[in-house]
Amino acid sequence: MKPSTTCCPKTPLPWNEPAVGGRWSRRSLLLTAGTLPVAAVALPALAARSQEAAVFIRRMVDRALEILSRTDRSREARIAELERLLEEATDLDLIAKLVLGAYWRKATPEQRRRYLQLFRKMIRRQIAANISRYDGQRIEIVGSRDIDDRDIMVRTLVYDSKRDAPYRIDWRVRHSDGRFLIIDVVGEGVSLLITKRKEFGEIVSAKGIEGLLTAMARKIEGNDDPPRARS
Amino acid sequence: MRLARIPTVLLVLGLTLAGPARAEENNGDPFEPFNRAVFAFNRVVDGLVLKPASELYGLTVPGPAKTAVANLLDTLRAPVVFINDLLQGERERAGITLSRFMINGTLGFFGLFDMAAEFGYVRHREDFGQTLAVHGVGEGPYLVLPLLGPSNPRDAIGLLVDSFLFDPMGYLASTRARTLRTATSAVVTRYELGPSLDELERTSLDFYAALRSVYRQRRQAEIRNGAPPSDAGYEDIFDETFDDMLSEDAPAVE
Repeated sequence: MKPSTTCCPKTPLPWNEPAVGGRWSRRSLLLTAGTLPVAAVALPALAARSQEAAVFIRRMVDRALEILSRTDRSREARIAELERLLEEATDLDLIAKLVLGAYWRKATPEQRRRYLQLFRKMIRRQIAANISRYDGQRIEIVGSRDIDDRDIMVRTLVYDSKRDAPYRIDWRVRHSDGRFLIIDVVGEGVSLLITKRKEFGEIVSAKGIEGLLTAMARKIEGNDDPPRARS
Repeated sequence: MRLARIPTVLLVLGLTLAGPARAEENNGDPFEPFNRAVFAFNRVVDGLVLKPASELYGLTVPGPAKTAVANLLDTLRAPVVFINDLLQGERERAGITLSRFMINGTLGFFGLFDMAAEFGYVRHREDFGQTLAVHGVGEGPYLVLPLLGPSNPRDAIGLLVDSFLFDPMGYLASTRARTLRTATSAVVTRYELGPSLDELERTSLDFYAALRSVYRQRRQAEIRNGAPPSDAGYEDIFDETFDDMLSEDAPAVE
């Protein structure tokens, strides 16, 4: 681990501070779905792309919260809608490949196909398992920042009535072919992508790609019956 | 209770420091079999004691009282945070910690209410492990400590220094008071981490490997005081290209 001077600024980045023209723009702070068109026009051309990414996250998050809060609809219908949203908002194939990393190249075409299928299934099971957990959390967009010429990080704060302090979720968004797609979710500094990558890497190095695929299939079966919950 | 653990901790540290100093291979976890055994032991203890206690705490203690307990623990912790703020050269954050201690210790009824947050002094945490990291000390090999969980030599030393050198309660309070505080802190921490831990366990293929990665990432984030992942390792991942996936042998995904 390097000392923090080069790679990791010890002082909080400007997204924790009032807007003073730092790298992070906080203009999107008050963006809500309703004010989108107005705000999009009013935003300065400066950092336009990162602003657009913030708007994209706002829109996706609002849609997810909308689906989650429609408890009058059937559980199956909501799961199906969330899965559609997931396909639309994220680059699941790229995420799956980045999780496997170098092992992707070593996998046979047949293994790759099975891996992508299992990966999708696992994510879907998680959605199904978590759908009843939504409990009125609010999400606020704090700001967004260009990482490089492809990726943007959008910072959000989640307010949960059961917790004293909000927690941070950063969304890594890739801009390609004129559209935005989520490629990582970082909760309180913990990247889902890295966590999965380390975990899968450990399994592959011990048991090979076939071992990983078996473990994934077993996990999916184990979760086959997500908590039917409350009714 | 904590004193009795010191020799064990020191023994483990001695073992590890004598081992390979930097182990990029083995996932930075050269003692994995040993760690996995301790991990399994910890989970048994957790299931028998800590988890039930934290669930009982969650069910029986009303929300405002939970907040008060968390605030009190935070106020008791403030001196350690303050010292580490200073040692990291973070004078502004040290000022915040001091202000919080003064305000919450008086207006906040001995720390039961977080009045300081109303004044804009938001809580943060520091420990000597982070201080060491700021001054360039590497984390060393991953370690799972009995009862204490995920750690490494740097953070374990940090914990010892914080507990026995920096913490005024170590000098001022009775053993009973300190034990009570340690136990409360353990239950509250377990309660607060509960949902995240359960989620991680439910969604992981290898809970041990997943938790190891999460621990390291959390520590890195804490050391960077909440800055987003900016270490080279994280960015490298996204530079990977999968040109081969565009070729004809790439799987067609429906």
